[in-house]
Amino acid sequence: MADGISVLRSPLILGNKTATQVTEDVCGLLDRGPGREWWYALAVSATMLTMGVVAVVYQLLTGIGTWGLNNTVGWAFDITNFVFWIGIGHAGTLISAILFLFRQRWRTSVNRSAEAMTIFAVICAGIFPIIHMGRPWLAFWVIPYPNFRGPLWINFRSPLVWDMFAIGTYFTISLVFWFVGLVPDFATLRDRAVSKFRKSVYGFLSLGWDGSNRTWLRYETVYLLLAGLATPLVVSVHTIVSWDFATSVIPGWHTTIFPPYFVAGAVFSGFAMVLTLMIIARRVLHFEEYITLHHIESMSKIIIATGGIVAMAYMTELFVAFYSGNEFERFAFVNRMLGPYGWAYWIMVGCNIVTPQLLWFRRIRRNIALVFVLSILINIGMWFERFVIITISLSRDYLPASWDFYTPSLVEVATLIGSFGLFLTLFLLFIRFLPMIAIGEVKGVLSYGRKKSDDAAPPGTAHTIRVTVGSPGGPQ
Amino acid sequence: MKEHLNQTAGVRIPDDGLPFDRREFLRLAGFTFAGAAVAGCDTARVEKAIPYLVKPEEITPGKATWYASTCAGCSAGCGILIKNRDGRPVKLEGNPEHPVSRGGLCAVGQAQVLGLYDSKRLKQPVMNGSPSDWQTLDRLILDRLKTVRTSGKAIRFLSTTVTSPTESSVIRKFLSMFGGNHVLYDPISQSAILEAHALTHGMRILPHYRFDLAEVILGVEADFLGTWLSPVEFTAAYSSGRTLEGNPPRCSHHVQIESRYSLTGTRADKRHPIMPSERVPLLMELVSLVEQKRGKTSAAGLGQAKPFLAEIAGKLWSARGKSIVVCGSNDVDSQLLTNRVNELLGNYGSTLDLQSPSYHCQSDERELQTLIEELRRGKVGALFLDGVNPVYDLPGGDDWKELLSNVTLVVRFVERIDESAQYAHFVCPKPHPLSSWSDAETVAGTISVTQPAIAPLENSRPLVESLSIWMGKTVSSLELMKEEWKTTIFPRQKTEKNFAVFWNQSVHDGFAVVAPRAHRPSRLLSSSDRKFSPSVTNDGGFQLVLYPKISMHDGRHAQNAWLQELPDPVTKIAWDNYAILSPEAAKGLGVESGDVVRLVSSDSAEPVHVEVPVWIQSGQADQVIALALGYGRKGTDRFTAIGPRWIEGRSSVGPDGLVGVNAAPLLQWKDGRLCYERGGIQIEKTGRRHALACTQTYHSLDTPPLLGQGTGDRRHFVQYASLASYTENPSAGSGPHHSSQSMWPEQHQYKGAHWGMMIDLNACTGCAACVVGCQAENNIPVVGKDEVLRNREMHWLRIDRYFMQNEDNLDVAQQPMLCQHCDNAPCETVCPVLATVHSEEGLNQQVYNRCVGTRYCANNCPYKIRRFNWFDYPRNDTKENMVLNPDVTVRSRGVMEKCSFCVQRIQEAKIAAKAEGRQVSDGAIQTACQQSCPAHAIVFGDMNDRASRIAKLIENPRSHNVLTELETRPSVGYMTMVRNRPEQSGDSSHG
Repeated sequence: MADGISVLRSPLILGNKTATQVTEDVCGLLDRGPGREWWYALAVSATMLTMGVVAVVYQLLTGIGTWGLNNTVGWAFDITNFVFWIGIGHAGTLISAILFLFRQRWRTSVNRSAEAMTIFAVICAGIFPIIHMGRPWLAFWVIPYPNFRGPLWINFRSPLVWDMFAIGTYFTISLVFWFVGLVPDFATLRDRAVSKFRKSVYGFLSLGWDGSNRTWLRYETVYLLLAGLATPLVVSVHTIVSWDFATSVIPGWHTTIFPPYFVAGAVFSGFAMVLTLMIIARRVLHFEEYITLHHIESMSKIIIATGGIVAMAYMTELFVAFYSGNEFERFAFVNRMLGPYGWAYWIMVGCNIVTPQLLWFRRIRRNIALVFVLSILINIGMWFERFVIITISLSRDYLPASWDFYTPSLVEVATLIGSFGLFLTLFLLFIRFLPMIAIGEVKGVLSYGRKKSDDAAPPGTAHTIRVTVGSPGGPQ
Repeated sequence: MKEHLNQTAGVRIPDDGLPFDRREFLRLAGFTFAGAAVAGCDTARVEKAIPYLVKPEEITPGKATWYASTCAGCSAGCGILIKNRDGRPVKLEGNPEHPVSRGGLCAVGQAQVLGLYDSKRLKQPVMNGSPSDWQTLDRLILDRLKTVRTSGKAIRFLSTTVTSPTESSVIRKFLSMFGGNHVLYDPISQSAILEAHALTHGMRILPHYRFDLAEVILGVEADFLGTWLSPVEFTAAYSSGRTLEGNPPRCSHHVQIESRYSLTGTRADKRHPIMPSERVPLLMELVSLVEQKRGKTSAAGLGQAKPFLAEIAGKLWSARGKSIVVCGSNDVDSQLLTNRVNELLGNYGSTLDLQSPSYHCQSDERELQTLIEELRRGKVGALFLDGVNPVYDLPGGDDWKELLSNVTLVVRFVERIDESAQYAHFVCPKPHPLSSWSDAETVAGTISVTQPAIAPLENSRPLVESLSIWMGKTVSSLELMKEEWKTTIFPRQKTEKNFAVFWNQSVHDGFAVVAPRAHRPSRLLSSSDRKFSPSVTNDGGFQLVLYPKISMHDGRHAQNAWLQELPDPVTKIAWDNYAILSPEAAKGLGVESGDVVRLVSSDSAEPVHVEVPVWIQSGQADQVIALALGYGRKGTDRFTAIGPRWIEGRSSVGPDGLVGVNAAPLLQWKDGRLCYERGGIQIEKTGRRHALACTQTYHSLDTPPLLGQGTGDRRHFVQYASLASYTENPSAGSGPHHSSQSMWPEQHQYKGAHWGMMIDLNACTGCAACVVGCQAENNIPVVGKDEVLRNREMHWLRIDRYFMQNEDNLDVAQQPMLCQHCDNAPCETVCPVLATVHSEEGLNQQVYNRCVGTRYCANNCPYKIRRFNWFDYPRNDTKENMVLNPDVTVRSRGVMEKCSFCVQRIQEAKIAAKAEGRQVSDGAIQTACQQSCPAHAIVFGDMNDRASRIAKLIENPRSHNVLTELETRPSVGYMTMVRNRPEQSGDSSHG
């Protein structure tokens, strides 16, 4: 790549920012404290969270029977929410790891918040497998820890055990990756801090960052290694989650295409969620110059691509069901489309197949309001995809005498709302206390797409610019 | 506390104080905590409660003792064995040696043990609504009796059919001493049969029906496999006539003509739905058809010709002398015609035994009507009420409050305060039949013994003791019974000379076989000059059929939670009664299942109306409404709080606080009998809804037409064939064949035993005895109506019921479904914590205390037989908890459970075999479901043992598994159901 002088490329960051301005824009927000809108948002999400907490506490005290599940449908809202949140968590790692390795430099404006989203989504997701247990206080039995119970051990053949490992690993790596990326910015914050308390907290978190070349060099190495480590996880987590279903015997679950289907769906929904949040954040926090139409377009294109894979998967499923000649398999899909829950299937198809097709049009991609609406539709569609797979398949499997319906209880609905509350609350706290945009990384792409003469920074790779950031002399 | 200790252990401790051993002391000390809550039971005071120092010879803690006795759930009098553990009865089983019931025990019988520990039982005598004691009560009753006698008013003893020789003799003595009549009526009466035989054979007699001898069976409104007279006996007999053994295969032909879909109808080879108004014309037609066969010219056929009748008549005629026609309607005309057909066919003396008749029903509602008239005119001075509950179970029961107010002395013998007891002056608590002595002669010559297996848990007194005391003699019921046996029963046999030996043997066996009392029925009297008329006239309106449900009978079991939660074998609905309408009728009325309608009778002066929810079900005429009796009982408000309590939880009772609705007001008096049919019913919508707890949401086996494999296809997990195709090819009806080849090495070796079960669908009637038997054995909780509505019933064994339209017959397939104990169990691989594992003997075992409750196993079970503890199901009634089987863990909230193949029984048999140094013999292990099955449809055993019954059955061409294509390799097999039909199109293999 050239030094960002090309007239063919538009700049990634608008407004002709200098490095100082970037620091001001991002850190100033944290110094000034939250605005009124933030408080409103926090009030709403904390209320949702409280509803969820009340529901979960009630459920833990009374029993899992407070959910709408029954003998036939043993999983419904719980695992739907779990898979949904895990899917949401996919965009972050994809942006930070895969796009990093592919040198997609536009990622710098959104990677920090996307990674944060991943962490929060995985937290939300991780709650469900625990609270969905009949005896959640014994959830640790799923972990192979040394014990004195003799031959009693975990079942390594169970996909739930694989899940536990997959999600645990994913969460750990994502968290470490996120934290490592934050270290230079912590240093900036430390250097700008006025109060002693903030200085010491940010100082602790910045791990003694001194901005020296050596520090940067090591930082770059670690970042690259973590990106390499995280990349397979983007694929593995949802692959393993899909095995919960694919290895079973239930028609509609027992499908070999599930791993790629689930991964594509996860990226699809993850990007939709990133879009939803970024469109709000850039508006409310005035980051229009950082998160530009270019970003929104790029993410829309990823949605088109992954949405295409998802649509392909839907059609493959139908074809295989038809082609298999297996009466149960055929019935599962006829029932999905035309059975008592047919409406859920058609919501899924409408949101996940039809919606992304609109994004082929540049004018729609550049219409932020429309993209926002579409991204929400995709989120809804992807939630229903999991509901369709899990609940409809279970509700009518083999013996008609055991078929049944499922209706969520109030407690379940409140738990779902609560998970959104948790997610949003965590996100709001994140934008309040941590730099939402990776200052160091953005500074590296300031020159991108600009004329050389406009750029005060010396030519070179993006990384070399960062040398000036967070140097001991305080912010520039 | 002391007396609780005594009662809990079920041992009366004499004053001289038997010593106890230290272990017993500790065990009983533990028991006191449970027993402490048994409040208010004050039987005779026990001065000393010293645990065993020297162990009584026959009691070993932890080891069950068995006592033969007789079931008192209905008047059928089936033989039972009471399993006692540590002094308390915990399980009832059929007595395999009993000549009448032959080892089976129905759902009602299985559930009787729960009533023993019912804390709502009457705990002491009640006088004018307040607790009293026996001395006061005896004194006052005698005083009042004296008053009555001096006043010259009548004394009446009103009871249900009394099958006990001792009881009837004591009642007789009592009434002859004080002067009075014994009036008998059954709320579910068959008095028309007695009446008809009085007209045709000169005797009020109930034949002993021998379905085992019948080659052609015609059932007309007689649910003889479900609720009619003696269903356990009839089921055993019926299935013994359809074993498919020999060549040609032994299989009776069964035609059922009925207005509602009964359990018996589900088993019929041909079933014809009719309206009640059509029955008498049909039977007349049948009589004339049979007469034609006999060469007589028949009287002009009054009825409409139904083409199927000629076929039935032909079949009956070709099997004359070996056929049977039974009619369950309480209508004399129908019964006379039935008798006529049976006489023409020469069935009397072969399939209908009048020499040793049945005594199940001695009801005479004419006398009851006379009694009501006497009551109305104030002629009755004393009324003793036993068994029957006229305020509840008679039409116009509300009038009884007024009728009884004229009576000086009303004494009620009862186990719980009920509708009639609230108007009685004196209420005498009766002990539970499991804690008292009695006997029963239900079929002439077979006298069953009821012996107590525990001391009464309340201050109760048997009826016979009360009557004796009032006659001036204080005798125990045992002495009374021995006396009766010595004088009347012992002389009826010749084999044993010593009464003590005879008595001991009878008590040990649970029955005695003696000569039947002499009955000399006269020759058939001609009834051809009689003018027959239908009991219901077809006026174009709806015709109502009132029937007993298998679990509730006449409502006497309404307080039994196990029976309330038992899904009806045909409708699959628990916890309610409902008006069954055909889909066409419902469409015409614009009602759906669950809509509450008002049934209004317009044929009487005072319109009666009852509001019930509708249930739509095919298989009955469009003008017919079927409604179960026995619901809306007082006391069922106890179920308001049964089941888990949570924010969305709803009650098990209806808006009036009771379970179901009492349909008795719709009963009619007709020609001096209770009539269970009624014409001219109007249906009005109320606009309200009442959810019905049906355990099935889908009822058809048909493959949905959209699946593109042609219409009329069936899913093949229930296999059935016609007798014609079975004779041609014994494996007829088997589904697609799946070769079982695997590239993997065998997972399990099964070097020792490999337990398996075989269920013969051809024998199974779907009577649900196994369901309750399993519930009793395995401590399965009752979860309440709301949880059943949410499909969270806990029964480990369910019976899947499917409807199938086969040409002109709407067939029903019943398939008991339980854990299949698969060799390749899908549940086992998915459990993250190894809480469900495979045993070396092929059992799929659930480890409750390892289970964390992910429910993944249940999701991955293709048979969906796993049951989850969604809540901590209430076990707050510590007295009721005594019914728990100590061998089976009570599961806590959040764990999965399912059929264990009664692993506790397997272990018991293995331990016994090991102690004796031998192998477990085939048949030594009987699972609870197998034991209770009246049709003996279930066989359990070691599949590795080549000589075992199960191994032989697996070789049978009818044997198959469900969902073989999944390669789960179940250890539970099924045997193809064969219907005695000529056509071959109805086989499952064609679908």
